[in-house]
Parts: sequence; C-alpha cells; structure tokens
Amino acid sequence: MYGGDEVSAIVVDLGSYSCKAGYAGEDAPKAVFPSAVGSIDQMEVDTEANPEKEADTQDPKNNAKPSDADKSKANRKLYVGTQALDYRRDHMEVISPFKDGVVVDWDMVDNIWNHAFRQRLLIDPKEHPMLLAEPSINTAQQREKAAEVMFENYKVPALFLAKNAVLTSFASGRSTSLVVDSGGGSTVVAAVHDGYVLQKAVATSPIGGEFLTDCMMKSLESKGIVIKPRYSFKKKEISPGEYKIVDLDFPNTTESYRLFCTRAIAGDIKESVSRVPDSSYDEASYANVPMTSYELPDGQTIEIGADRFKVPDILFNPSLALTIPGIEGFSDPASVKGLPQMVLESINKCDVDIRRELFSSILLAGGTSSMQQLKERLEKELMEDAPQAARVKVLASGNAIERRFSVWIGGSILASLGSFQQMWFSKAEYEEHGVSYIHRKCP
Amino acid sequence: MEAVVVDYGSKLLKAGIASPDQDPPYIIPTKMKRVLEEGEEAGGDGTGNDEEVMVDTVVRGFVSDWDAMEDLLHHVLYTNIGWEIGDEGQILFTEPLFTPKYLREQLVQLMFETFNVSGFYASEQAVLSLYAVGRISGCTIDIGHGKIDVAPVCEGAVHHIASKRFETGGVDLTNLLAQELQKSNPSVNIDISDVEKIKELYAKCASDQIEFEKMQNSYLPEQHTLPDGQVITIGKERYIVGEALFQPQILGLEEYGIVEQLVSSVSNVASEYHRQLLENTMLCGGTAAMTGFEKRFQSEANVSASAIRPALVKPPEYMPENLARNSAWMGGAILAKVVFPQNQHVTKGEYDETGPSIVHKKCF
Repeated sequence: MYGGDEVSAIVVDLGSYSCKAGYAGEDAPKAVFPSAVGSIDQMEVDTEANPEKEADTQDPKNNAKPSDADKSKANRKLYVGTQALDYRRDHMEVISPFKDGVVVDWDMVDNIWNHAFRQRLLIDPKEHPMLLAEPSINTAQQREKAAEVMFENYKVPALFLAKNAVLTSFASGRSTSLVVDSGGGSTVVAAVHDGYVLQKAVATSPIGGEFLTDCMMKSLESKGIVIKPRYSFKKKEISPGEYKIVDLDFPNTTESYRLFCTRAIAGDIKESVSRVPDSSYDEASYANVPMTSYELPDGQTIEIGADRFKVPDILFNPSLALTIPGIEGFSDPASVKGLPQMVLESINKCDVDIRRELFSSILLAGGTSSMQQLKERLEKELMEDAPQAARVKVLASGNAIERRFSVWIGGSILASLGSFQQMWFSKAEYEEHGVSYIHRKCP
Repeated sequence: MEAVVVDYGSKLLKAGIASPDQDPPYIIPTKMKRVLEEGEEAGGDGTGNDEEVMVDTVVRGFVSDWDAMEDLLHHVLYTNIGWEIGDEGQILFTEPLFTPKYLREQLVQLMFETFNVSGFYASEQAVLSLYAVGRISGCTIDIGHGKIDVAPVCEGAVHHIASKRFETGGVDLTNLLAQELQKSNPSVNIDISDVEKIKELYAKCASDQIEFEKMQNSYLPEQHTLPDGQVITIGKERYIVGEALFQPQILGLEEYGIVEQLVSSVSNVASEYHRQLLENTMLCGGTAAMTGFEKRFQSEANVSASAIRPALVKPPEYMPENLARNSAWMGGAILAKVVFPQNQHVTKGEYDETGPSIVHKKCF
C-alpha cells in the first residue's frame, strides 16, 4: 500500500471557524487560515466570464445543465486565505460554507481545499493520500460528497475520513475517553469507546469561540467602546513623535467584512483577558473587580472588568448571554445547556459499564478550551454533580497550541502509523465499488 | 575541514567556507547559459553563442532546474572553493519559507548521492538572517529577487502559521521599470539585463507618499548611456520601483504594502510576543538595500495601524557594511559553527540508513 515515510499523507481538518492542513508526521499544521471566504458577486449574466472556475467545480460525471443556484455561484469571485481576506475590497462579503455545523456550499469547500494544497502547502494532491477530519455526527450524504470531491476534483490516490473525537482521543494516546471539543463554531461532547464514537451519546451546543467573541464585542459596545477595524483608520504625524488617528471612509465596504475585521480584534481581546471564574458568575460580586487594560490597534487603551469573567462563564451558564444587550436568543433555548450538563447527559446515555472510564478520562480540545481556569472549573462542577463513586479527571494538554490543534495532531499521528496504511480507501476501490463503499471502509 | 555554506537565490548564489563576520567569498549569478551543442553548461559568464538558451536555475526561491543546479554547484564547490573529489566536506544550505517536502528531499539526495558530502544541514533563511544580527526572536522581511518572505521567528523557530510568502520580488520590479522606461523612451530598445543594472544604480525610495506624488510631476532627469551606445533619460521612473513595495497596486496586485503585511502577520501570533517581534524587525535581501528604503520603511511603520510601533534592528558593529544583502549566508556561517561540531547534522551513515526523508527529522 502506501509506505509511511516515502509518500507523506496530508491531514486536513476543516472546522467551522478555521481550516488546518499539513503533512502527517509533523507536530503542528503548516497551513491555518479562516474557513470564511470573501466573495464578490460578478453580476454578469454570461457564465462564460468564469470558465476556469466552472471547469474546476463542475462534476464531470454529472453533465446536467447547471441550475440557477449553480449559475449564481459561478458568477462570484472567491478570496480564500488570510492574505486574500486581509485586503479590503469593495463589495466583498464574508461568507462561510457552514450552516449550523453542516457544509452547505461545496463549491466553497473545494476552493478552500485548493487554496490549502496549492497555495499554502505547495503540493500536488494527486500524489498524497488524504486524511480528512469530519464532525462526530456526520450524515452519509456529506461523507459521500466529500469523497466525491476529493476523488473527482483532486484525484487523490487514497482517502480516509476520521471523526474529530476519535482523532483527539488518539492524540492523547487513549482509545476510550469523553471528548469535549470547544471550537470556534460550536461545542461538541462525544464519547469515544475503543476508537469508535458512540453516536447516541453526542451532545452539541451552538456556543463556541465565535459566539463568545460576539458577546465580548457587544458587551464592550454597550459600554461605549468602539473597536475600529484596522483598515478604517490611519495615523498621521502632526508633529515629530506625536500622532493623530484619522478615520478613513470606505463607503463600499460590506457590513459582513466590517464585522469580520472587528471580530478579529475582539477575539484577540477575549483571548488575552478572559478567565473562567471559580464559581458561577453574578453581577453583584463582580461589580468591583479590578480592571485589566488592553491596547487597541489604534492606540486607544480600554479597561475590561467584569466582562473578563462574564463571557467565559457563558459556557457554563448559557442564559447569561441573554443579559448582554444586542445578543439574540437561541432558536431553541431549552436545548442549549452548559458544559457540565452536556458532559453528564452524554455519559448517562452510555452503557453503565464504561461510565467510570469516561469520567476519569475527559479530554479538552479546541481553541476555546484553552481559556484560563476552564479545566479546574469544569472538574469542580463535575465532581459536585457526578455519582459519588466516580473519580472525575479532566485532562488537557498544557500547551495551548496542542489543545487548539488536537484533532489535527491526532490525524497526523494516525496517518503516520504503519498499521494504518492498509486502511486507506484507495482510488481503485472507489472506482470499483463506488462512493458508498466509504461507509464500509471508514466506519 | 571547515563547513561550506550555500545560499541560493533567484538571482545570486552566495557560497563559501563558513566565516561568520565576513561577506560570502563567492557570489555567482544563478542564471546560466546552456550551450546546446554538447549539452554542456557554463556557470556564470559563459561564452556567447547563437544557440544559447538562458536557464533560470532558481525560480521564485525554489530550485527548478536540477541539472543546472548540479553543474553550478559542481563549479562552485570543486573549482571555486577547492574541494577535491573523494574528500568532500560538510555543507549547509539555506532555504526559503514554505519549501515543499519533496524539494528538500531532492536536495539532500543530490548532495549525498552525486556530491558525496560527509554532512548536510538545511535551515530557513528567516532564522539565519536573525542570527546574523545576534537575535533569536524577531521578524524577518526578506525581499529577494523572486519572492518576498515575511516571517515572525520566536526563539529560533519560524511561526509558520503567521508567515507570509509573496511571489513578487526584484524581478517584477525590474519588469515594471522596463515598462516605465519604454514609455518615456519609446525609440530606444532596452534589454532586460541592462534594466536590471539601471535599477541597481538609480532606484530610490521617496521619503513618503506625498513626496512620491510630487516627484511624478517635477523631477530632475538624468542621462544614462547604455552599453550599446544608446542614451536614455531617467527621471520619475527611479522612484516607482521603491514605491511599488509600499503600494502594490502599482504592480497590479490586490495587496497592502509591506508594512501592513508585517503588522497583519504579527497579529496572527499570540499577543505576548507582539512587542518582541515588532521591535526586532530585520530587513534583508537585495531589494531591501535600495537607497532610502529603510528610512521610508521606518516612517511608514510609525503611521501603521498598530499600537506597537515596528522598529528596525541595528546590526552589530563587527558585521560588514552590506549585511542586508547577505545576512542569510552569514547567519548560515554562524549556525554551521554550532551544528556541525555538535553532530546535529545529517551524516552519510544516517542518510544511507534512512533515505532522503531523514532531512525532515534532523533539520528544522
């Protein structure tokens, strides 16, 4: 099959917030960039204007005429990656291929993968087996579509789809664990037993890093602090050594782009000042907490006090988010639960026999899980609510990089194992058995 | 025997025995002429021949023609440096950011199998340039002939996720200058290699955008005599070369200028490192040695959209004058003195045992 050393596999983890890609066997992905892409509608009726794009994305097996939806997609220009998104363009909207954690725009995903392979990693996908990380709950249709795009558009020699929770489990060297993956778009709690995700025990919540960033942003705005995106101002020297901020006006900048840039700064604020409080947050006791200062890109220094503790506590107490002006409620408030409840619910849906093992190996993964004091608070809350006999242990890698990329790292480990090489779903098998064979090969 | 350091670029190859505080002894162009008769190539200044083809050995920082590279290295190592066949020493290569794995493997294979070196090491140019100025953390902006690399380095490790690479460089600036000169001197036919020399002689950076705009309208034209006797006038074109780095729209690119790229690159690194990275910025590469570039960079940095002002690093006094051009080679010389004596390099024995992929495990 494929030797571990000679032909290096590529591991791709496309999350709802960021895409991570790199060679298997390495300890961190080389290419990390947002999953959101910039898009400008060409507004041309003639689809001939973009023949290149259409040729790339049209499925050669399906020769049907493109529907109206496809036509409008072929008329937009996409900008993928940090460098392309950094540049402010008129009328550029920032859109995401995901909706509620599920891929809805495969054309965009195709562009994202293309950018990762050809512009960031500088490789030819034809020569590298691909390991794709997929959500712990994924429909058969999504899996088949992913396999189709990979084999038809990129002509990869081999493919494997592995679930996020399983990869995180491998990254920590365990085959049974409860994985709490708190990423950018959502939080997923999944139980892994002997390398397989127990489908009935997966709990999801829409509260992820991006939601917390929005909370931080709205909270600061309600206090009168204005975060200026980097493109909207310029410094001018009024006298040697003294500078003044001059606002630049770009009337054709879309609202989604402005939000995207502001969120980037708010996200940095969130990451540098947040701390999970030791016990449940309440307005009264945190009213007089000492403030921390943060310097915004335009030189303004802001003071952040209670928000430092309020925003992270939303993970444990989702109803707190509704007290922030400007945050809309959830579409189904009853189903959105705090982290400890999600963990308990998930474990209780598993067999009694494995519950003890799950309690003692709870893994934290994802960018949001590297918040300070999250591990300690979660352990404390769980010990209070768990059955007496259970020993609760929450494990998290000390290194923030490892937590953020634990899914990718697990993939890197898996794809470089000698014993894994026979498990690839090869191109020959795809051509012989068709795309639905993937469910047999990648359970 | 002392180790040899080789820094191959899209325009020049710098090579020599590792001597840290001196310029590289051999600086040879990587563009070569292929004489088609017997398939032999001459390195550097070949003899003119009707059937000659110009070969670009290194394109955009990466080796594109391995046969040409082999001949060039053969010339440098055996003729210039004086290695003897059968008694090759140790060699250290520099490489640009984002070098694909297979290119590294090909290079190490070439060195061990064709040249039979006794030891090999490869390191990224960004890190080496910082070593040359005595730092292990900082930001390198390497503006070369074929590419521009912006790399934040923390404690000797390049932050790959935040680094950027642009497929623009001195060669594109030369083309831009050629276009502009052709517009103002329509009757004269200028060869691209002459434009390259003109660029190096005359290119200047305006001290800021307002001055650049003033220069477009009123300037002092100068006369320049080309090797073939024709005379051309150079005026405002000299400023456009430097300006293109700060306003890439001139080159037709949808990108921000070099200072904004630095700021946005650093913003992708954890905030505790920002100060250390921005205040230790290093400019290197041939294009960065343009007159007025550093001054313009510093003044643009002062008005950039960042709370922390980027500041350029001051090179140590014991280093030679034009450190910016050859900093990667000098850093390589410093590193060679550390890596080879401590046996951290790839030896022939290890290569024979594991194969080319050993380079990924030992050199990072």
